[in-house]
Amino acid sequence: MHRFRSAVGTVRVRRAGLLALLGLLVAGCGGRDTRPQTTFDAEGPAADTILGLTNLTLIMAAVVFVLVEFGVLWVAWRFRARKDDDPEALPEQLHGNTKLEIGWTALPAVVLAFLAVFTVSAVLDLAEDPGEEATRIRVVGNQWWWSYDYDIDGDGVYADDDVNQRGIEKPEEYETDIEVANEMVIPAGRPVYLEIESRDVIHSFWIPALNGKKDAVPGRTHYLSMEADEPGTFIGQCTEYCGLSHAYMRMVVHALPPAEYDAWVQDQLAPAAEPETPEEAAGLEVFQGRCATCHLVEGVNGEDFDGAAQVSGAAPNLTHFASRGSFAGSIFQQWRDADGSEAVEWDEIGGELNRNQLEAWLRNPPGEKYMAPDDERGMPNLGLSEAEIDSLVAYLTSLD
Amino acid sequence: MTDTAAAAPSEVAGPAPDHLDGVDLDSWGLGTNNATGLSNTKLGMWLFLGSDCLLFGALISTYLLLRHRGEGIGPHDVFDIPFTSVSSFVLLMSSMSMVFAVSAIARGEDQKLRLWLLVTALLGGTFIAGQVYEFTSFYREGLGYTTNLFSSAFYSLTGFHGFHVSVGIVMLMSLFVLSLTGRLKQDRAETVEVVGLYWHFVDIVWVLIFTIVYLIP
Amino acid sequence: MAIVERPTTDGTLALEAGPRHASPDDALGVFKRPQGDTGWRSWLFTVDHKRIGIMYGAAALFFFLIGGIEALVIRTQLAAPDQDLISADLYNQMFTMHGVTMIFLVVMPIGAAFMNYLIPLQIGARDVAFPRINAFSFWVYLFGGLFFNTSWFLGGGPDGGWFAYAPNTSVVFSPSHGMDFYAIGIQIVGFGTLAGAVNLIATCLNMRAPGMTLMKMPVFTWMSLVTQFLLLFAMPVISVALFLLTFDRIFDANFFNVAAGADPLLWEHLFWIFGHPEVYIMIMPAFGVVSEIIPVFSRKPIFGYEFMVFSGIAIGFMGWGVWAHHMFASGMGPISVAAFAVSTMFIAVPTGVKILNWIATMWGGKLTFTTPMLFSIGLVTMFTIGGLSGVSHAVAPSDTQQTDTYYIVAHFHYVLFGGALFAFVGGFYFWWPKAFGYLLRETLGKWHFWLMLLGFNLTFGPMHVLGLEGMPRRTHSYFAGYGFDLWNLVATVGAFIIALSFLVFFWNIFVSWRDTKKVGWVPPGPDPWDARSIEWMTASPTPTHNFDHIPVVTHRDEFWYRKYGETDDHRIVRIASSEEVAQTGTRTGVHLPAPSYWPILLCASLPLIGYGLIFNMGLTIAGGVVLLLALYGWAQEPADDPDGGHHDDHGALPEPGHDPQDAAATPAAAGDADKEATLVD
Repeated sequence: MHRFRSAVGTVRVRRAGLLALLGLLVAGCGGRDTRPQTTFDAEGPAADTILGLTNLTLIMAAVVFVLVEFGVLWVAWRFRARKDDDPEALPEQLHGNTKLEIGWTALPAVVLAFLAVFTVSAVLDLAEDPGEEATRIRVVGNQWWWSYDYDIDGDGVYADDDVNQRGIEKPEEYETDIEVANEMVIPAGRPVYLEIESRDVIHSFWIPALNGKKDAVPGRTHYLSMEADEPGTFIGQCTEYCGLSHAYMRMVVHALPPAEYDAWVQDQLAPAAEPETPEEAAGLEVFQGRCATCHLVEGVNGEDFDGAAQVSGAAPNLTHFASRGSFAGSIFQQWRDADGSEAVEWDEIGGELNRNQLEAWLRNPPGEKYMAPDDERGMPNLGLSEAEIDSLVAYLTSLD
Repeated sequence: MTDTAAAAPSEVAGPAPDHLDGVDLDSWGLGTNNATGLSNTKLGMWLFLGSDCLLFGALISTYLLLRHRGEGIGPHDVFDIPFTSVSSFVLLMSSMSMVFAVSAIARGEDQKLRLWLLVTALLGGTFIAGQVYEFTSFYREGLGYTTNLFSSAFYSLTGFHGFHVSVGIVMLMSLFVLSLTGRLKQDRAETVEVVGLYWHFVDIVWVLIFTIVYLIP
Repeated sequence: MAIVERPTTDGTLALEAGPRHASPDDALGVFKRPQGDTGWRSWLFTVDHKRIGIMYGAAALFFFLIGGIEALVIRTQLAAPDQDLISADLYNQMFTMHGVTMIFLVVMPIGAAFMNYLIPLQIGARDVAFPRINAFSFWVYLFGGLFFNTSWFLGGGPDGGWFAYAPNTSVVFSPSHGMDFYAIGIQIVGFGTLAGAVNLIATCLNMRAPGMTLMKMPVFTWMSLVTQFLLLFAMPVISVALFLLTFDRIFDANFFNVAAGADPLLWEHLFWIFGHPEVYIMIMPAFGVVSEIIPVFSRKPIFGYEFMVFSGIAIGFMGWGVWAHHMFASGMGPISVAAFAVSTMFIAVPTGVKILNWIATMWGGKLTFTTPMLFSIGLVTMFTIGGLSGVSHAVAPSDTQQTDTYYIVAHFHYVLFGGALFAFVGGFYFWWPKAFGYLLRETLGKWHFWLMLLGFNLTFGPMHVLGLEGMPRRTHSYFAGYGFDLWNLVATVGAFIIALSFLVFFWNIFVSWRDTKKVGWVPPGPDPWDARSIEWMTASPTPTHNFDHIPVVTHRDEFWYRKYGETDDHRIVRIASSEEVAQTGTRTGVHLPAPSYWPILLCASLPLIGYGLIFNMGLTIAGGVVLLLALYGWAQEPADDPDGGHHDDHGALPEPGHDPQDAAATPAAAGDADKEATLVD
């Protein structure tokens, strides 16, 4: 039986929503750090614009709701038939009133026109390209995980162009770009521009605290601006039904202070760590023998690696596996969270290994997460021995 | 298409107001004794054709969206415009013979009716034969149904049209047989007219398809 | 199939003795037609719009049970976080089947049940324009629905969602036969729906009783007419989409093959060009039902009839210009998004007009809160909530936070369950006596209403919160620690309360029927509610021939105007009792469309062809042969059999003028009785 622990439980919450009262009403009970995916917690300018509009809409809707619902109930009470009524006496047979009709046609139209003005301006506002300074990240949906490609040198090619199915030739600038899986790292306070794509079916990329969702459609590129006001860890979930494990396709965004982000970029550009212990060396061998047909550890697979045996043609890039907080579509924690918040925040990565979960995954992936490996959609059970699993864990956790 | 909720006109309802003098209430709504002045059958055919417009609309839109998206053989690698122009002309001529058939039964001329029905069906059959030939030659040139986006969209669109023409031919031949056995007389002229509506519609759709698919680059 | 011999009765002879109207089609029949009014055969081969309507309702309730059980399975799985009662695969089949079943096999057919039963009665016709095509529509729906549901036993149900976005529905991503059943099943059901649209539009336009102009038609008939026009133009679009999907899956076409260069947005556009009008297709008949019930129990005419009608037509038109609001996150350009956002907002205007007109109808009335009235008020209040959340989707930026979350699930259940289903259940209670000749018990009805209202709000109210708190829809499980636990549990409890409320409903049907067997049971008569429109002007249950005499209509609410008049000092007084005005339904010898074998046989061929396409082309050929045979038989059979279908042909025709009902049946005569009262209009 499958039983999963949440990969990331809490995120830091700083800003109060515009409408604390409505927020409370919606939240029901419990503090806000127990609602990590709420749309009422805007942590960036785009989400902020949307939340303002949502609140305006909800207030207007609430007013209409109260007027209509109580209106109906009042009318029902006021005009109820009473026991002492003459059953043969009829009320006035009123057929209508044209002025009234025109009035209550026009009034909602005017109210909605008001809302439409704000809506259209927000739509155009949110669609704006943040310009050259923005960090550009290609977000690619796969069944059932996300990969993120960074064009660090700004030459327009991405690190994974050689392993996808688009037939672009392998760029010489390969070494200057980054490909990561499951967790996206962005600089806080700086605009980020996402190019959203998919390698198989339609997915949808959604980090509620930062912006609304945008579908990842195979064969198309969609753009989405994103910016986190402050450093923090934000989570989201695929929101376009994408088959078997749709519920288990999640994403984590770490927003870092710009200096830390730059350091992270340098770390990721560095080649994969060399094995230092015999155990790790044994793990490398297992990796090359069993994992390297699908997974990429740059420099280990070699030049002839030409994509995974998957419908999508891709499996997570593991070059810097240990620098991430979660794996398998971000549904499993890779590290224990030290503060007991059940979330792997940035400062907890590299702490105590969540060994049991990682081993369980290597032992039998389809038993841990719904996948269809027989149809080349998801990771198969490789039948690794316990010794192989131990050395593989040692190797993978050395890939920082 | 000849279904009606029938009531025997021999039965008489109660006293009717002046403006309904002589009107048989029990057959109200049947024949042209109704609000639109069209019989149910004819109105039904018009409605169906309205619906069919959307069917071809969706198919044509699909074709327009897909024809240039794929790789490989494209529309103008295979089209033989002169050939298709001739078969289009044949189909258009069948509309004319259909008009003659309708007017023949309206005047009660059974022999002429059969002649024109047969001519219409033959012209339609010629068109279908041309389509079969066209498909075969495209296939020989390497354009199978599954070859690319253009081929799937093209064969589906023109195939649906061909199916409509074929159904029309079956209806025409049924009328021919009915007339031959003496069961299609002047009093059922409307049946021929309704089939004619369908036939003209299918022709007009072909004019559209021919223009959009073959002629516009 | 057994050929039923036509019984030779005196009745037939009696008619033949008269001036027999020979049909030129007589010689055409090559097979004998089914005959008779009783027994199971009379249902299988019936072309009577009332029987077809009842069968539509019964079949829809059967599928409602299936869809409801699927819903309960879904809610049980989601009752607590991290549950694994059913696998993700089964869950995905479950929500797909639930959605498709409830939309195509429950809500639309219940609408069709009311439309079939009521339209001819409300416009004063004996039947629909094409009775055999009507039978075809029903059987094709039933067989298509059964075909679709057999997927459970033939390799698993469809798992692509009712919206079936490409390319997740391609063979690569959905290798089971489920999506084949989806594409072919809905296609089959769609043929019947399209035929029904042609049929009912022709009926509304052509078969109205003398004097019943379009603007005298009851609002229900009007809303049905708009619905049928929507169907007429929406069904071919989904039909094309499903053909493309079928060709892709079965014949390896490339329509949604991204590797070959296809654009998955093609499916999205085709689907929603159908899918949004579909929303109004489901709700408009419900609006019509409520517009019939509220005036009766307010004892007032509908307020602003013209505005009710025109707002319905406006929704019908605007419904075609808003489809892409389902696609705000799909990557359309900002200009399209803005345009569809604005158009979507303004479709709320005509809907709001309807709500306000219902309230105005109640205003100043004398309201009695019978079960149908409670359900109608239920629609007004619950649909308002769904309408308001709908406006919040029109705000496109907000929608990017809400779409594909449980907020959407809440929204469309408030419009479809809180709207359509509340109205239809109200309609069941309202027209039950007309269809079956007995009233459903009021106390149980009220239990049903309050339980359903409670369960409904417990189930779908919390989903607003869940969605705004970020719970995506179509997920088979969710993690603890996201704040989803409590509200999911509440929703699950609510779902079981809804189930309980429907047990009360079915129990009510049973015990109310049992009551009729008791000594001293009094039939409700033709007009138990003091109603307004002419379907109440004939006996209950409705006789096979509907009306003894086609009524001549001079007013909207014709029946009411025959019962009530205005005195010189402008007081409304009753001038005739319902029983005096209503026809007795005892007339014999009315000539009706004859039953036929061909509709059901024709429909039986379609699932065969469907199974064949999926499993073995041989079956398709067999199905094709049956299809051609049935078409041949159909074409050879005269539509109108002068010998068949007489209802209770036991005696000679009553002579005109000697039937006391005639006096009341025409306004010329009724006018005499009204001399002391001037009619109000």
